[in-house]
Amino acid sequence: MSADQRPSVMEVGDALIASLPEHPTDSTISELQELILSRIARTDADADGVVLDVGAVQTVDSFFARMIVETAKMVELMGAHPVLVGVSPAIAITVTELGLDLGEVETALGTDQAVAKIRAFDS
Amino acid sequence: MTDPDVAGSLSIDGDDDIVTARMTIRQTASDLGFGITDTTRIVTAVSELARNIHLYAGSGTMRWRTRRDGERPVFEIIFDDDGPGIDDIEKALESGQSSANGMGQGLPGAKKLMDEFDLETSPGAGTTVTIGKYLQ
Repeated sequence: MSADQRPSVMEVGDALIASLPEHPTDSTISELQELILSRIARTDADADGVVLDVGAVQTVDSFFARMIVETAKMVELMGAHPVLVGVSPAIAITVTELGLDLGEVETALGTDQAVAKIRAFDS
Repeated sequence: MTDPDVAGSLSIDGDDDIVTARMTIRQTASDLGFGITDTTRIVTAVSELARNIHLYAGSGTMRWRTRRDGERPVFEIIFDDDGPGIDDIEKALESGQSSANGMGQGLPGAKKLMDEFDLETSPGAGTTVTIGKYLQ
């Protein structure tokens, strides 16, 4: 697998920005989940929130949706705020038609709005 | 649609092949003239069914072709495996009711997203799922 198909987690201020590559395998998605949790746990990171960026992803099926919801719940359990960004119109339609429930996950239109939401949570 | 006669096949053995299946069908659907939303529906159904092969049968084959239903072109994709088959078809087609891994969205999800859906299976004799989308 090429390097640009790996998940990545960046620190921007008090937020972690977690991004999925364009063509993630199931194990890439699991790997991102572990990466996010271990970065929150690092005491020097001091993350208030995690932006889950799926903007590069073209397909969200039931496995993927379940992992997003699970990851968001785990982030919350660890005391940080999860915000999902980058849901395209086609993905929004498909997820709704499938009856997949992302209802509890906070969403934002873009990374800037997501980071602003995380700051607002914190104040 | 200038050339309706596309056909091909792909072996599904590992989770990398689920990605290849998605990419291949996305390109094919787009070439056939499907819009972004229908293409996403088709690719999502493919992702569910390719994963089912990987999870439950270990390996199998995805084949695709176009055919005509009267005047209407249909993009058809067939998932074939020699896995354990499905015991209770009705239960497998109910959302959230399938047994293994507590997932159970694959078959009902694929059915919801497509215009045609056919399931042939029996315990010990493998599973064949055929899905189709009409090209308007």
